[in-house]
Amino acid sequence: MIKLIRRNLLRNKRRTFLTMASLAMALFILSLLGVVNDAMSFADDSAMPDRLVVRNAISLTFPLPEAYEQRLRTIDNVVSVTPQNWFQGVYKDQRPENFFPRFTIDPATFRSVFYDLEWNEEEWEAFAAQRTAFAAGRELTEIQGWSLGDTITIKGDIYPIDVELQLRAIYDFDEPGQERQIFFHRRYVEEAMGNPGQNGTYWLLLDDPEAAPAVIAAAEAMFENSDNQVRAETAEAFAASFTEMLGNIRFFFSMIGLAIVISIFLITANTMAMAARERTTEVSVLRTLGFRRNQVLGMVIGESLAVGVLGAALGVGFTAVAIQGATPFLDQMGFGFGGFALDVQVLATAVAIGIAVGLLSGVFPAVAAARLKIVDGLRRL
Amino acid sequence: MAETVVQLRDVTKNYRRDAFELKVLQGITLDVEAGDYVALMGPSGSGKSTLLNLLAGIDQPTSGELIVAGQQVSRLGESKLALWRQRHIGFIFQFYNLIPVLTAYENVELPLTLRKSSRAARRKRVETALSVVGLQNRMKHYPRQLSGGQEQRVAIARAIVTDPTLLLADEPTGDLDAESGGEVLDLLGQLNEQFNKTILMVTHDPKAAARAKRLVRLDKGRLVASAPGGGTGA
Repeated sequence: MIKLIRRNLLRNKRRTFLTMASLAMALFILSLLGVVNDAMSFADDSAMPDRLVVRNAISLTFPLPEAYEQRLRTIDNVVSVTPQNWFQGVYKDQRPENFFPRFTIDPATFRSVFYDLEWNEEEWEAFAAQRTAFAAGRELTEIQGWSLGDTITIKGDIYPIDVELQLRAIYDFDEPGQERQIFFHRRYVEEAMGNPGQNGTYWLLLDDPEAAPAVIAAAEAMFENSDNQVRAETAEAFAASFTEMLGNIRFFFSMIGLAIVISIFLITANTMAMAARERTTEVSVLRTLGFRRNQVLGMVIGESLAVGVLGAALGVGFTAVAIQGATPFLDQMGFGFGGFALDVQVLATAVAIGIAVGLLSGVFPAVAAARLKIVDGLRRL
Repeated sequence: MAETVVQLRDVTKNYRRDAFELKVLQGITLDVEAGDYVALMGPSGSGKSTLLNLLAGIDQPTSGELIVAGQQVSRLGESKLALWRQRHIGFIFQFYNLIPVLTAYENVELPLTLRKSSRAARRKRVETALSVVGLQNRMKHYPRQLSGGQEQRVAIARAIVTDPTLLLADEPTGDLDAESGGEVLDLLGQLNEQFNKTILMVTHDPKAAARAKRLVRLDKGRLVASAPGGGTGA
């Protein structure tokens, strides 16, 4: 039986190869989408449950007064508060490889909230003491080829100023992607802008994550009657809202993936149906020789399953090889600032889909072949 | 006295086509004894192939009793029928119907793969069957590499490899030239004479029918004559 399946697969080599190749290509694209999707959900995974973000209720593009920091500090269960601002700007040029997140921070309070970044104390001190200093993640310094003491210029766009910064500290973080950003002094920008006394966001560290709902309610209530009402949310919800701002790309990618799976299922099912239909007489001959219905069923399903398994293996193998080469390019696209990595779960899903497509696409022609009356099949000569 | 291999009693077969009912076989009563060689003749549409299909257990009679190799065929379920066919029926098609992706050896081996037997035992039987049909030197050839006559001989080897009780041949020379057809008929005669195989052959060709021991004629679904044939089988 296995010999017959193998020979039947090789009967029309071009068709078998093209079917497998189309399945492999579809699974490759699917895996790639999975990797990108995973990278975009990275921010959610790294967000700590004990941190809250407070921002302007209208939009992130509207700032909050500097004075809010002190008032937020007075809310129960709030251990520490630190401001953080999205500077954006342009480093060198607009090419993707030169894009990385740039934040302005207050070194006096930053580490009390973002306690999970790892620093060399001397470097940190040097960074905190120099107003024009910047700190960068180790991965970014390796990508950009920066060393301590190097100077870079960021041309402002949101802020109409150019900042010249010197690298004074390099931090480590155990989550990929989080080492691809820089921090520098908000005071530097404030002074250059004429001290407007504003911040984009305030980050709050709580002593008890369970207290988050109460702190959120208190923060929002605190500024309810002010000119700048606030929206407070967990860091996780804040990160998720960024993904939503990307136009729900993850949902879009999932839909593309689903469309690919359905298309490839229909193509494979049609090919398998054609292959089975061409052999109607042969199936009837086999049954005349004494083959039972379930043996015919197993033979046809076995063929399409083999196409599915081989296509999946090809697709996943191709993905494994290609993702290595594609990673730098995907990284530079900047989705979610996360790291693109080969994920076993994504590959396992692709293999499972390949097998399922192979199996399901063989079921209908197999049932049709098994149910066909022998005499009807023999008449189709 | 020879064992009766085929017993048909008042067998009818009707087909329904839309609102019409076609009476293909009507009241067929026929006995075939072990070692007999019967030629079944009749004009197109007389029901010859339908009768052969009933005997092979690949179609069911509408009414009547059909006993082949001691088994009431119409009472068998799908799975048991397949097993019964495997043990008792060797079928030779007009167009050979070899599996094109398998060699001559593998085609002949195919029915044996359904049984529990060792590879060595299978090999012995396949080689014997292929040597009976004179193709022991063509074992590794694919059907496309064989002539029509050789293909039909491989098909005969496939039909006899399980040593079935009854050999059914549906116009076995219908697609062959005179020389190849003659070789196939010689082979069938040899199987009947030397190996005492019971053969029932549908044919349009009077010369082929003349090789059988008995001639049965069908017309419009009825048995119109049964007479000794001109041949001794060989």
